[in-house]
Amino acid sequence: MSSYLKGNFKTEKEVRPPETKKEADDLESRFERAALKRLGGSIAFVAKKKVKWTLDDKG
Amino acid sequence: MAKVLFINPVVREEDVPRHVPYGIALLAAIAIEKGHLVQVFDQNAWRTGEEVLRQVLAADRWDMVGLGGITTTYGSVKRIVRVAREVCPESAIVLGGGILTSLPYEMMTWLPEVDVGVVGEAFVTFPEMLSMIDEGRRDWHTVLGTISRGEGGRLIMAGQRPLLHDLDSLPFPAWDLFPLEEVYFPNSEVLYSEEGMLASRRLDINASYGCSLICRFCYHLGIAGDMRYETDAEGRTQVHFDEPGTYTRHIRYHSPEYVVRLARHAHDRYGVNFIGFLDENLMTMDQSSGRTWLKEICRLWHEYGLAPKYEYDDKGEVKGWTGVHWSGTSHATLCTKEILKVMREAGCSHLVYGYESFAPHVMKRIGKGATPKTNIRSFFWTLEAGIRPVPNQIIGFPNEDFDSIRQNVKAWEELGIVVKPHFATPYPGSEWYAVYRDSILEQYGGDLEAFVFELGDASKISATISHNFNAVELVGLRDMMLNFDYRHIDEYEKIWRRNHRIPDGQPSTLYRDADDTAPAAAAE
Ligand code: B12
Repeated sequence: MSSYLKGNFKTEKEVRPPETKKEADDLESRFERAALKRLGGSIAFVAKKKVKWTLDDKG
Repeated sequence: MAKVLFINPVVREEDVPRHVPYGIALLAAIAIEKGHLVQVFDQNAWRTGEEVLRQVLAADRWDMVGLGGITTTYGSVKRIVRVAREVCPESAIVLGGGILTSLPYEMMTWLPEVDVGVVGEAFVTFPEMLSMIDEGRRDWHTVLGTISRGEGGRLIMAGQRPLLHDLDSLPFPAWDLFPLEEVYFPNSEVLYSEEGMLASRRLDINASYGCSLICRFCYHLGIAGDMRYETDAEGRTQVHFDEPGTYTRHIRYHSPEYVVRLARHAHDRYGVNFIGFLDENLMTMDQSSGRTWLKEICRLWHEYGLAPKYEYDDKGEVKGWTGVHWSGTSHATLCTKEILKVMREAGCSHLVYGYESFAPHVMKRIGKGATPKTNIRSFFWTLEAGIRPVPNQIIGFPNEDFDSIRQNVKAWEELGIVVKPHFATPYPGSEWYAVYRDSILEQYGGDLEAFVFELGDASKISATISHNFNAVELVGLRDMMLNFDYRHIDEYEKIWRRNHRIPDGQPSTLYRDADDTAPAAAAE
């Protein structure tokens, strides 16, 4: 395992990696990442997790 | 022996981490050489959240937590020191680097968690502070090159730290303490040349300090002889950098032997196949050394077996090389045809040129000692030598106008330059910052910290210093420039002249002279 701390002695406590929050690999995330790279012209999309309004609020 | 934790704050968050922080790597090596206990947490490399940071800070009883970097790390530094103070109430929190040096009083005020700031070069200051910890003392104000807190929180600026004379006395950077295999080597690619793109194990070397030129936008971190200590009317010591009419420099370079031995060490120990020279301007050093320095580095590059030889695939395409390719920074007027050829033969793949502009009247006011003519000459010399010139451009200069905009677009078109220029930005420590400080404050409603927070890549706009164009105009004009859209530029010039009531026959500019410090945003 790679260690976050690198040095010339052993620290009293070890640093443990956090619960992995790896880049999501589900289809929705892969699509949004790919679309973002080609943003412009006819490529526009809804970042689904960022939608803040609801139809009730604004409809 | 003091227990030190170095933290490298996050910089340029929108890109992957690409550069081992050279200053911290040297300071870590110095501390180890002096027998101290050292750990590095490279937060910029790992990009982890607060949870890991808290664990790191709680992993031991640190005598000192040291961090530093360039001014644009401000947001990250602010977050780190807040957590550090909470988790390590007993540790001395130390901030150094360009971020602290250009604004020492402001940083110490905005970051109350920081105990001591290291102003300018830290090669001697930092180990002196560690010795002080060993002696159980914390009277930081007795150490030259620091700013610290006295009674009642009063800030005390100690005397100026002289620059280190014998650079070769420095140990090699402690590269082992950084995640090379995990982070930096996978991000070795530099998209400036074919070899840069194919680089798979890159490290950087800083072979010299300083630059003889006085570009109005540049800041030299207080490590280039660019910093002066002066006493103000209230008797407080203030740091000063380039100001109109007052420029100081101290040019220093490592011996060619040190440089090439370090490159060989990087190659042998880490399998490095590309070195990026971080030097502000390799050509300044070449000129100062009577044109011997670069030639000798190149000669030794061959002698030490580092000059690269290509390896080809079945189709005859380059797939890699033995030895080490390298890159650096050049200067339009200071480079020579001869040295460029010698550099190419030793494996130089690309050179960054701050061409900035192809408009004569703009170039005249930059302080670079270059002209459109020398820009173009060096461009062809570099290409002829087989090196890729990286033709950096800036828009939004104080006297930028429609003529300069068109001259640039024309030059790009005719020289095949593909570029998205930076916006002229008055980074603290630069002459522009000294000259336009009031205007910056006005643009940020008097809140200097908000300006510093917003500083990042100059590819985004922050404070403007153009006398003719405000932020909206600059963003729009840049877009038209990228599309070689002369028609809209011409059309907008007519509207702009009408708005500014400039009669026919008069030039399209509001810029008056060098003392005119009112940019467009503030003028309207
Ligand atoms: C590598 C580099 C970068 C790296 C990041 C480096 C890093 N990890 O922090 C990258 C590529 C990201 C970068 C980006 C930019 N950079 Co830059 N960069 C450099 C470069 C080429 C080398 C820095 C270096 O290693 N110097 C050598 C070492 C020895 O110096 P040092 O790190 O400053 O360390 C010494 C002291 O400062 C101090 N110190 C440093 N850290 C610490 C920590 C502690 C605890 C202590 C006590 C002391 C200390 O001690 C060291 C020894 O004396 C310099 C030019 C140069 N040659 O210095 C420009 C330079 C630092 N960059 C500069 C600029 C303007 C930029 C950009 C704004 C450019 C742009 N227009 O977009 C961007 C900002 C991007 C962003 N979004 O934030 C300016 C000044 C920046 C500033 N205001 O602080 C410089 C000086 C170039 C110039 N002359 O214009 N940069």
